[in-house]
Amino acid sequence: MIDSTRGRALATEAVAFALAAGAEQAEALVSATDHALTRFAGNRIHQNVQSEDAEVSVRAVIGTRIGVAATNRVDPQGLEACCIAAAEAARLAPEDPAFPGLPAGCNGEHADRVSASTLAFDADQRARAAGAMIAASAEAGAIAAGGVSRDHSVTAIANSLGTDVAMARTTVRATVLSTGAEGGTGWASFSGREVAGLDAAALGAIAADTARRSAGPIELDAGTYTVVLAPEAVAEIAQFVAWYGCSIKAVEEGRSFMSGRLGQRVTSPMITLVDDALRASACGLTFDYEGQPKTRVTLIDAGVAGSPVTDSYWAARTGRPNTGHALPAPNSQGPLPLDVALEPGDAEASGLIASVKRGIYVTRFHYVNIEDPTRVTLTGMTRNGTFLIENGEVTRPVKDLRFTQPALEALDTTLGVSAFRQLVGEDGGALVPFLLLERFTFTGRTS
Amino acid sequence: MRSFTQECLDAATAAGATYADVRVTDSRTQALSVRNGVVEGVSSGSSFGFGVRVVADGAWGFSASSEVTSESAVRVARQAVAIARASATVGARPIILSPLEAHTDRWSGPCGTDPFTVSTDDKLAVLFDADAAMRAQDGIAIATGGMSFLHERTTLASSEGSFIEQEWTESSAGIAAYAIGDGDVVTRSYPNSHGGGCFQGGWETIVALDLAGNAPRIAEQAVQLLAAPLCPGGTTTLILDGSQLALQVHESVGHPTELDRVLGDEAAFAGTSWVKPGDLGTLRYGSPIVNITADATVPGSLGSFGYDDEGVPARREHLVRDGVLAGFLSSRESAAAIGLGSSGAMRADGWARTPLVRMTTVSLEPGTAGTLDELIADTTSGVYMETNDSWSIDDKRLNFQFGCEIGWEIKGGKRGRMLRNPDYTGITPAFWGSCDAVCSPSEWRVWGLDNCGKGEPMQVAHVAHGAAPARFRNVRIGVGR
Repeated sequence: MIDSTRGRALATEAVAFALAAGAEQAEALVSATDHALTRFAGNRIHQNVQSEDAEVSVRAVIGTRIGVAATNRVDPQGLEACCIAAAEAARLAPEDPAFPGLPAGCNGEHADRVSASTLAFDADQRARAAGAMIAASAEAGAIAAGGVSRDHSVTAIANSLGTDVAMARTTVRATVLSTGAEGGTGWASFSGREVAGLDAAALGAIAADTARRSAGPIELDAGTYTVVLAPEAVAEIAQFVAWYGCSIKAVEEGRSFMSGRLGQRVTSPMITLVDDALRASACGLTFDYEGQPKTRVTLIDAGVAGSPVTDSYWAARTGRPNTGHALPAPNSQGPLPLDVALEPGDAEASGLIASVKRGIYVTRFHYVNIEDPTRVTLTGMTRNGTFLIENGEVTRPVKDLRFTQPALEALDTTLGVSAFRQLVGEDGGALVPFLLLERFTFTGRTS
Repeated sequence: MRSFTQECLDAATAAGATYADVRVTDSRTQALSVRNGVVEGVSSGSSFGFGVRVVADGAWGFSASSEVTSESAVRVARQAVAIARASATVGARPIILSPLEAHTDRWSGPCGTDPFTVSTDDKLAVLFDADAAMRAQDGIAIATGGMSFLHERTTLASSEGSFIEQEWTESSAGIAAYAIGDGDVVTRSYPNSHGGGCFQGGWETIVALDLAGNAPRIAEQAVQLLAAPLCPGGTTTLILDGSQLALQVHESVGHPTELDRVLGDEAAFAGTSWVKPGDLGTLRYGSPIVNITADATVPGSLGSFGYDDEGVPARREHLVRDGVLAGFLSSRESAAAIGLGSSGAMRADGWARTPLVRMTTVSLEPGTAGTLDELIADTTSGVYMETNDSWSIDDKRLNFQFGCEIGWEIKGGKRGRMLRNPDYTGITPAFWGSCDAVCSPSEWRVWGLDNCGKGEPMQVAHVAHGAAPARFRNVRIGVGR
């Protein structure tokens, strides 16, 4: 696994090769990864993998012609061949008159987000963590499945205008699903930078307890219910809203809920959605894939459509500031917010439940997909801990339900937001609270 | 390469592996995309590396590296064994692999004109012609087109004596036209959504698509769709085109018959299955006219190979025969767990990933209902839907909901008015049980699908599905309306 210094050197070397190959401007992105994952199912470890790779992707520019080539052969010969291919692709590409050139040089310091204990989280330690997550289920006669992963990555970017940035990161992720008797299932997860934050036994206990409580679920009719969504479920909605609606490209092309509605109310004032890679607990990169510094962007500000994210291309094209949200070239998606956070409220999760006369508690969703991008209409299933709330208390488990719901309409009925937030998902992830929504439509059941 | 793979196997067995295999993969890619007359990307890539998979102390370990050297062969093989030994500390049970004869062989997929020898200019010309043809239609806001190409060469060697070299080429292309109205975006794609048409083959497969020739039709339909009424809610007879049926087969037959899912190995991520091991030969999956096969020998299909990534020879088997569950997609380990031989469905996404049970070409076999026009003529009332737009299915692969790009009412055996945002929902066995007609072989074709995600870390498999249009009774459409 190469370190940041070597990553930087590789990126600089690639830029030089690309210029020598005839590029007028050049950019190199180095991505080195060391990934390890221990998976378990049936109360045993059944897959256990590790892989290391280092890839260099080169963007060569001739006039407004652009070519991109990538390789994981990072010796000088491999690198040079890749740069020649990028320059050759640029020579053959048609002009893009709107291309403003590569962004100006940027060589600010970006602190590594690396934990020594995470780096040392080896196969033996991961096996012990897996065993700890399995223990509560095994004790209860249930079956545990899940995984515990450790990622170490180095990202370095250089360009011929002086950009020279690098950052190393570590992340840990653990998930556990407990399957008990009579259809009961439970789930718990952890995402973070520090392995010290992972309490594997506690996760296992939460999952096993939820599986016990969700045994023998009742069937509920489809319909519109008040819901309390746990962070895993909220993260799905927040990320779909951000990814489909909050890129300047989607806004400019009329594909976004923000198109023609910037500054207008789109959700309840209780909803403030931001993209913020700079927050202390974030795991993502603090620069984008052009090496530009990421900035905090308020996507939805107290219910009002705020600012979409941009990159150098779309900033130049629209006259907006570059917010630092470029994806790796070539990029047909436009800039994207990858470090989404929903601002906290002041409620306790238990208080949200206590305020519901009759509703549904959702632990998480499964296989959510978008049916209508402009309304962010989503469909998916509930999974691993769906409960009926009656008179302020979680009373009975409910069989999983399918929902079909415009996300913004649901967020417009927000009645409460918890103070507690959880980081959910991989890479940048989403930092989200519990939400109480007055109206959420379930359209089908499995019977 | 044989000396390198042998170094890996020797190091693994010396470290204590009771079984080992090594896969070396060298791949090359190219992708081009245009949008509204402008090139969005011309890119190429290459990736080279190897992965060592071992059994030690009765458990699995896998390690992979992009450094293909003698030093790393030993280091990575030893690391795989160390990982396996860590695996063995938690609930290990002996790993039993179904028997397999050792093979020494070479296999290559079909390729007429190597797409990597076709100039970038020629490729972009095809995309620009189609792009211009779409944008010639008034009302088209966005026109997109893309192509991608892959050449992959793999070497698999195992401690049981197999040494198998394979190489193949894949070519994909597609176009899409978007019409955007008052808060609405509609899309029409050709030849399919989600990447277009995907084939094992060369440049000739792209030429045969005639993207420019089909562009005016989909552009016109996109504009018409914007003004079309929403698909109404209700329960009706549904006819699906082959491309949508391909995804229906993928989600509701392919995934639930993957034996690793059935046995619970993917429970925490992708989910399990409504199918149980003991259902083989007895479970009523669909109506008696439903026959579904898994076939890794279909020429030109993304789901074809000579041997899977465990070295099991490609084969064709029924998953559903006359409506009854007849088989599983399986690996040597999962098949042995239920007393069967492997179906030859272990596939890995490149050198850095351990193989998983994946689909090959999983197809709804053609029926006898004639052409699509004849099937519509035989239908009193209902809806015909074409081309997938969205998909969702639960963790047991029972409760699904699909959106399509376009629909038409069927009245009196005739295709009537166009319908916008059509979708439908159902429960897997009830849906397949309601299938009462499948079109004839003349309508059957293979649809490649290059975005099948499964496993952790996520692996993307290239698979395929053969299908002809088919009819289903009493299906709920227009969900939530």
